[in-house]
Parts: sequence; structure tokens; C-alpha cells
Amino acid sequence: MASNGQPKILVFSTEKISDPALDLAGLLKKHYPFTIYTISVPCSSCIKPRWIMRAFDKGFSGVFIAADGTDCSYGESCGEKTSQVVTTTHQLMRDKGLKPSQLKMAAICSVCAEPVVKHLTGFMKELEKMQS
Amino acid sequence: MTKKKIGVYVCHCGGNISDYVDIEKVKEAVKDEANVYLLKNTLFACSDSSQKEMVADIQTNELDAIVVASCSPKLHVPTFRGVAQRAGMNPYNYVQVNIREQGSWAHSDNPKGATEKAILLVKAGIARAAESEALTSSKIPAANVVAVIGAGVGGMRSAIALADMGTEVYLIEKEKNVGGHVANFGSLFTTDKMGYELSANLLSEVKKRENIKLFTNAEIVEKKGSIGNFDIQVKVDNDVLPLHVGAFVVNTGFDSYQPQQGEYGFGEQTNVITLPEFKKLIDNSSERLIFNGKAIKKVAYIYCVGSRQNDEGDNKYCSRYCCTAAIHASVQVNKKFKDVTNLHFNRGIRTYGKQELLYEESSKNGDIYLQFSLDSIPEITQKGGKTFVKVKDILSAGKEVETEADLVVLVTGMVPRENSKLASQLKIPVGRDNFFNEIHMKLRPVETVIDGVLIAGTCQSPKNILETMNSSMAAAAKINSVLTKGEMTLDPTLAKINPSQCTWCGKCAEACPFDAIIQTEFDGRIVAKINEANCKGCGMCTPVCPTDAIDLAGFTNAQIEGMIDALAE
Amino acid sequence: MEATNNDSMNRSNAGTTDYDVLVIGAGIAGEESALKLADMGFKVLLIEKEPSIGGKMILLSKVFPTLDCAACITTPKVSETARHPNITILTLAEAESIVKEENNLFSVTFKKHPRYVVENDCTGCQECETVCPMVVKDQFQFNLVARKAIYIPFNIANPRVALIDIENCTLCGACEQKCPSNCIDFTQKEELVNIKVKSVIVATGFKLFDPISIERYGYGRYKNVITSMQMERELAPTRPFNSVLRPSDGKVPDKIAYIFCTGSRDHTVGNPICSQVCCMYSTKQAQLLMGALPMADISLYYINIRAFGKGFNEFYMQAKDMGANYVKGKIGSISEKENGNLILRYEDIVTGKVTEKEHDLVVLSVGLLANHEITKVFKNEKLELDALKYIKQPDLLQSPATTSIKGVFVAGTATSPMDIPDTIMSAGAAASETSGYLNQWS
Repeated sequence: MASNGQPKILVFSTEKISDPALDLAGLLKKHYPFTIYTISVPCSSCIKPRWIMRAFDKGFSGVFIAADGTDCSYGESCGEKTSQVVTTTHQLMRDKGLKPSQLKMAAICSVCAEPVVKHLTGFMKELEKMQS
Repeated sequence: MTKKKIGVYVCHCGGNISDYVDIEKVKEAVKDEANVYLLKNTLFACSDSSQKEMVADIQTNELDAIVVASCSPKLHVPTFRGVAQRAGMNPYNYVQVNIREQGSWAHSDNPKGATEKAILLVKAGIARAAESEALTSSKIPAANVVAVIGAGVGGMRSAIALADMGTEVYLIEKEKNVGGHVANFGSLFTTDKMGYELSANLLSEVKKRENIKLFTNAEIVEKKGSIGNFDIQVKVDNDVLPLHVGAFVVNTGFDSYQPQQGEYGFGEQTNVITLPEFKKLIDNSSERLIFNGKAIKKVAYIYCVGSRQNDEGDNKYCSRYCCTAAIHASVQVNKKFKDVTNLHFNRGIRTYGKQELLYEESSKNGDIYLQFSLDSIPEITQKGGKTFVKVKDILSAGKEVETEADLVVLVTGMVPRENSKLASQLKIPVGRDNFFNEIHMKLRPVETVIDGVLIAGTCQSPKNILETMNSSMAAAAKINSVLTKGEMTLDPTLAKINPSQCTWCGKCAEACPFDAIIQTEFDGRIVAKINEANCKGCGMCTPVCPTDAIDLAGFTNAQIEGMIDALAE
Repeated sequence: MEATNNDSMNRSNAGTTDYDVLVIGAGIAGEESALKLADMGFKVLLIEKEPSIGGKMILLSKVFPTLDCAACITTPKVSETARHPNITILTLAEAESIVKEENNLFSVTFKKHPRYVVENDCTGCQECETVCPMVVKDQFQFNLVARKAIYIPFNIANPRVALIDIENCTLCGACEQKCPSNCIDFTQKEELVNIKVKSVIVATGFKLFDPISIERYGYGRYKNVITSMQMERELAPTRPFNSVLRPSDGKVPDKIAYIFCTGSRDHTVGNPICSQVCCMYSTKQAQLLMGALPMADISLYYINIRAFGKGFNEFYMQAKDMGANYVKGKIGSISEKENGNLILRYEDIVTGKVTEKEHDLVVLSVGLLANHEITKVFKNEKLELDALKYIKQPDLLQSPATTSIKGVFVAGTATSPMDIPDTIMSAGAAASETSGYLNQWS
């Protein structure tokens, strides 16, 4: 938990697609809670379930996968494979007594500044509710 | 090995960062982090003077990694990798931390929060740099030789373009003759050229070039290797030739749709023929248009035969060239023969672009256009030895029109050619419409997911000749730009397999869209191995491995988990 | 080449600088040609008269028939072009004269317009915009909103740096005081630069039809009649408003009409041909609108639907299945009601009757026109046009990228209307032809 008592969210963004959307959100000064941290990877289908579990283990309340969706430059199968990562992780989360809703995924295009902020602030509210 | 001498630079970006993020606080918070050897703040990290300072810092202090906390990596990763390189440090030991777009700007409403976030982001960057590995781009020799498959007009054009750019070409044609469909065409639309002339011209250009070797009656029987270095066996007549090529341009063309028995009376009524047959008839007739000994005065064209089919048919697509081709035929008829009436039974004329002028010309000639929808297609009937076409014409408020026709021309579209053997040899993906599929329609329209296998012309989708030429030359330009140096530099951010952990289950190979995972032997066991020439560094193979034997360079478990731990603080 | 006799211009003599290729126009066609040639190892100078590269595509919302976001596809190409070591980009640069010399080199003079901002020093922080007192129409948002006299063209511009629109600037100096990196420079002057190149690619693109000349549609008089390019901006992720709204009162429209072939297939406006993209971009906008405004009623008035490319017909059928109402009809006229709604009077071709229908927003699907001004720049040998004023392709079917001048090639919509995939392939063909030409040279 952060200094202000807010839950922390770890975002996995993708270098070419969804991270630019987060950059654009900043550029447009579309604010979101500062306890949202990003790690950028080449493609959302390369995220290992163990990383997500590590984040929960270390104290993150939520993990958000900002997926490539159909814009992925590595091909159409990306969406399906990212979903598979989520499914596998959900299983591991259940075993640890975590709620599936603590892991979220949405396709974010490279200029989807507004949608990504909406997703993240909405997710934060849900986590806050869960906490209280 | 963990990096022990890390240089950290925190950028003010004028005031873009420092107006919101308390830079001194950030420095204070990270100064005692493990492995931090040098810590500075800078007004503009990207400025020339600052870059020079960093080069000097790296050299005098023998730093083994650097972290720059400034703007988005999209802007300045190449800049600071350049700094590292100039200082003699491996560029992959550099880490960029984004405290502007995702720091000061995203949280300009909350300077305290922005500062707290910046501190953790910088710590995560330090953790990532500590576990960073020096990576070197490897170079592999690549043959500046291309096998162009199919010597229709598109294939010949690809071959000529490649040869002129300095690439050696093997032009491989299955049939005895070159030129494909076009070699048998007469007048071609929107020009005065004849199909057979175009084909002959191209053939003579092919023959002029010493760096094109044309094989007819030839096909690929075996293929091995990857981009830059494919080994193929080509069967020519009864001999088998081994060839070494860097890439393929597949230009295998289309088939004309063959109407089904009874489709609009085809095969049942002798005066129902296809558009290609009709074009031949026009070319072979002089003065009078004669079919089966009978003078033709009225031609009915039925459009979209084999294209834009309803749920029962496979071909949902529009064949693109046929509206213009049929109208062009009717214009030819009017030029060549007197007193022939053309009736066009269409589903909305698609003479896009400049081809519109041909449609206008035909309308001015007095051609009649009637439009039908899929729910009520024209009926062809025979009465007393005469042929009648009946349709509900959309253009006259659905009125039923019946008219006699001497000849019914089925405007047949293009269908994908049966080419499953080649497709499986080269692993060419096929799209929903069964044509070969490009990797991205706009970014990479002539490439497939398999590196070194390009597609051009009508094997990718229906096209007219101009469009075929453009795509054939575009494919030539693309592959020449890759092979022209005779070697290829491979991006070092690739997947890496730990063979002692791998038990070969094949899941990674299944997950890889680029055919980049092969088998190899390790300690007497079969294990997976990355074919570096094919790997794109997407990492799709990494989460599926049950023994966690695959890491992606730059995104290893140690790096990502180090970052997670730092951010979770 | 004679220097222009104008004291206010500096004349830098860079006559010794050699490029293999000059590419005129940095839209997607110019970028693609430049990238391919640069990858082959040729030195390319890419000039663009606008302040950003990326052409028209970078301003689009999504693209048909895949609905990829246009920016996601354009920006990687744009930054690849900008970073390529073999490509030099000059924005705000306009070709003035091109003369083919006896040694087959082209002597090129171009005008470099001042930005009044030092490009390398500007960090794109936009602080200057906050203090500039001058507000003018924003041409990159197709006049839907306003911008300042000092401005960054648009968020994803490249280079993403400010420029001063000097005609609207009062020289108050507020930006100069505010700028944290001291990069405002009012002393910059127009420059004429002369260079020599071995070949030229013309990738000057198209012009959009201005519907003001079709009086019966009321564009420019009726506020709620907009162009498809304005709708494109309203739908773009970097859009000016947060939702689709109509200009007269900011209301979210729920009865939208598209009028196809505005300025195409129309002899009365001098453009008899089909623009090749309007059917599909309108269909795309209809799909996006149905997503954004699920309750809205969308009618598309067309003559013929040209859904001919790969996946296009399927995309058109999908729009119909989603509920888009395609009406085969010819629009007679539009009249405006007091509440800003519009009455369309049209001949319904299926029923054969003249009908009227009310809409609250009308989008004109404007066509593409030839952009042929570049021909004036060629001073000795003539760059010929075809009957439709597009760059003439003398060997259309065998070498479509060649022009009437040996060593000058053409790419993209400078030759004819075409969509993005066709443009990319035409640009590839131009690169191939140019490379072949340059290889013969050496």
C-alpha cells in the first residue's frame, strides 16, 4: 500500500501499442491515481503468470494487462494468447485465495488515452471497495 | 552477472518534470540503493552537453550500466543507447525510466504523489539495469538471391525489378509457357496495350538480364532453412536442381471461377459462356461477331458470377477487376462490330477510380444497365430455340424485365488457385477468403508471417494488372532492401532457451507465430532451440513453457521481478 | 539556377550536398518510398511543406476494413522514417524549381519556411500555447476547434515541436518569456536552398474536394452539414471533443446522413471519376458511429457501392448487418429547419419516387482531387499530366512508377485516387523503379 493508503496497481503495457496510450494520457494531462505503476513489455502475450503472482505476493492489490488486441504487430493470435495467460493466472490466484477481479485485461490502442485512464480509475475504485 | 557500477541521471526536462517532481527528494531516496555508483541531476538529459558529460562519466568511472529517468522511452532510447555506445558500453546496459509522460504529467495534479511514484520508478529502473545483460547483434550472411515463383506478368515484373536492383533471380514457372492468363488476353483496359504484347515484352526483358534464370516446367520439391539462407530443390523437367536462395516472392496468380453445371444455364445451354471465353471470341472475330455460326446482335452480361456469393457460396469477396473487364469487353464489341446491343445485368457497377470513364463510355454507347439483388437473380430460359433473360430491375423500381439474348456472358471472378502443396512447403498462411494472407494489410502488405516469404499479385487477392504490377514491384523492393547487403543484422532482444531446463514438449513451437523454434540435441536429449533468424522477440513462447525454460532478453525473470519488488516497496 | 532577388531571404548554398533521391511529400507514400530506398542504402532527402510528416493518414480515426487505429499504424512508420540514418527530413519545405542538367543530375531549389522555434531545442511542453493570446481556427482539426498562433500541429505530430503562425502572431513576446528552453526565435528567415540529386520521387498526394461549390448541399451555410474529414476528426482517438456532436448546438446527433460521391463522378464539378475510397471510409465511419452512438440512425445515400478490395465487400455487408441503412438515391437538395435539422430531398432509385427525410447531421463524403501544382516546379523538362490532371504514367501497365521525365518517379495518390494498401504498394513500386535507375547510374 502506498503512503496515502491507496491500493497499488501494476500495469503491464506493451512497448508499441498500449504504453504510447499511457504516454498520451500524460501528455494530455489526463490524471489517474499515482499508485499505478507500469512495466512495459514487447507484447502482452509474453507476460508470465509468475510475474503477476509475484506482484500480488509483494503487495500489489491489482494487476492490469493493457493488451495489444488486434493492433498487435506480432500477429492475430496475440489476443487469444494473452487471454490464456489470464486464465492460467486466475487459476493460480484462486489457489492463493485472491479474487479473479484483481487481475484485469483490456485491449488498449496506441492513442486510447481516454479509455485507458477510464479503465484504470475504474479498476482503482473497485479495488478500493474491495479493501474497505 | 549483477551490474555493480550504475550511473543514474534524473532529468528536470526544463520544468516539465521538476515543476511537479521533487528531484532532490528523488535523489535522496535512491542514493543508497545497491549498485548505484554515480547519481546526478540534469536540466536536459538529451542535450548535447549532457550527453557528452555522460560519455565522460561512463569512461572515467568505468560504469557498467546507466539509468536515465526522463521522458518516454519512445523518444530517447535510441539517443541514450547511442551515448552508451560512444562511451564503449554495451547499449543494452542502458535503461530508460519514464517519469514525465507517466510521472510528472500524468500526476501534475499531485506533486507529492508524482514524486513518490518517480522514486519507485527510478528504483525499478536501477533494479532492471543491475540485471541487464550485454547483448550483441549478430550478423548472418544472407544470399542476395530470390526465387520468384510463378512467371505470369506479375512474376516476370518482380524478377525484372529485382534484377535491376542487383538481386539474382530464379524465376520458376510450373507451366511450359510464361505470361499466365495475360499471355492469352487481347486488349487490356484503360490502355491500348494487348495482353500478349505485355507478356512478350516482359519475357524479352527477362531474357535480356543475365541475373535472371528462367525455369519452366519447374516446381519446388523441397525447402529447408530460413530467411537469407534457404536451400531448395527445384524439379525442372526430369532433373532436380539444388539452389540456395535468400527469399521467395510468391506470385502464383489466380484461377478464373468455373461456373457450376447449370449455374445460369452454364454447361446446359451452349450460348452461355464465361467472360474469358467471350474475350477470346471478340479477339478472334473480325467484322461480325459470330458464335456457333450465328451472328450475335444482343449480348447479356451477368455480373458477379462466383463472387459476392450468398451464405451457400464460399466466395463472399468482390473480385475487383470483373466489372471493368466486362464493360471493357462491351466497349470493344462496340468498337469492333456494328449493331450489337449490350445488356449488363449487374449488382452495382464497381468501376472504381479512373475506370469510371469506361463505364461512362459504355453508357454513351447505348449499353443498357439493369441491376438485380441476390434475392432475385436473373433467370435464363429457352423458348423455341431462343434464349431469354428475366430480371427484376432495381433501377426501374423493381419492374420485371424479360429480354432475348443471343449470347449470355457470365462475368466470372477470380478464385484462389489450388496451391496447397506450395503453401505447406513455404508455410504461407491463407486468409478467410482462401487467398494467401499478408502480415498486415497496410504496414506490410507483401510480407507474410514467415520472414523471407513474400506474396505479390493475385495470389494475395484479386487485382487488375496495374495493381498486380505495383504489388510485384513492392515485393521486389521490400526483399531487396533486406538482402542487398549480403548479410542481415539480427536484433538481439530474442527469446533464449535454457536447455538444461527444457524437456521438449513442443508448446513453445506451437505458440510461436514465426516458426522460430526448432529442435536440437543437448546432453543426449531433444530440446528446443531458437532459430535466431526467425525470432522477432515477441516472447509469446515464454509463458507457455511448463518448466519456465525460456527467457526473453531484456525481460528476464530477474529483471522483471527485480522491478516488481522495487515498485512494491 | 538564379537566386530569387529578395532581400528578406537568406540563400544558403548547399549545392555540393548530394542525395541520391529527393522525395517530395512525406505522407505515407513518400515515407514508404523513402524508407525502402534508405534501407537499400541510398541517401534520401524527404521534404514536406506541412510542419509535420505523416500526411493525411495520421489525422484519420480508424482504417477500413480492419478497423485498426490509423495512428497506431502511421506513427511507427513516421518514427522509423524520422530516425533512419539515411533519411534527412525537412518540414515546412517546399520545392521551388527542379531543373534537369546535362549530366542527368537534378538541380533542386526549395524554400525552407521559418518555424520561429528552434526545432532541436523545443521539448514540446506546450507552455507557450498557454500564454499566447491569439486564437485562430485549427486547420489540422479541419476548423472544428481553435488553436493558438504558436502551436504544436497535433498531438502525434512529428517533429512534435511548436511553430509560430506568423500571419496571426502579434509579436507580443509572451511565448518567448514563457518558453523554458529558450527556443523561440523571431529572427528566423525564409531560406532558399539549392541541392543536387540523382532522382526525384513525386509523392505529393491528393487534395480534398471542397463542397462549398455544390450550393444545393448548403455546406458553409448550414452548420450541421460537415465533411467526412471533419467527422474523421470527431471519431479519432485524438479528437477535439469527447464525443461526436453536431456543430450548431453541440447536441449528440441521432439521425445522421451520408451523401456519397460529393465531388466525385460529377462532371458539373469537373471530376468525372470515382474517388475509390469514399464508399469504404463512409462505411467505416458508419460502423464507428453505430458503436459510439448505439441509438443513432445512420442512412447512407449512394449511387453504387464500391467495395472492391480485400475484405471490403465483407466489411460492407457487416455494416448492413449492424443496421446501417443504405439508400440508393440521388440527392436533389438540402434545406435547413429552424432547429438546425436538415431535410434531404432525394430520388429513391428503388421506389422511383422523390422522397424527403429529416436528419440532424449531414456528412458529405467528399472525394479526392488531383494535386498537380508540383508540375510547375519542373522548369526545363515537362512533368506531364493525364487528362484528369494526375501525374501521367506513360507506361501504366509495365512500369507504373515512371513519368514523362527520366529519373523522376511517382508514388501514391499523385497518380490516381487510391486507398492505403494500394498507396503502400505504389510507393514500393516507385522505390523499386528508382533503385533500378540509380543502379544503372553507377
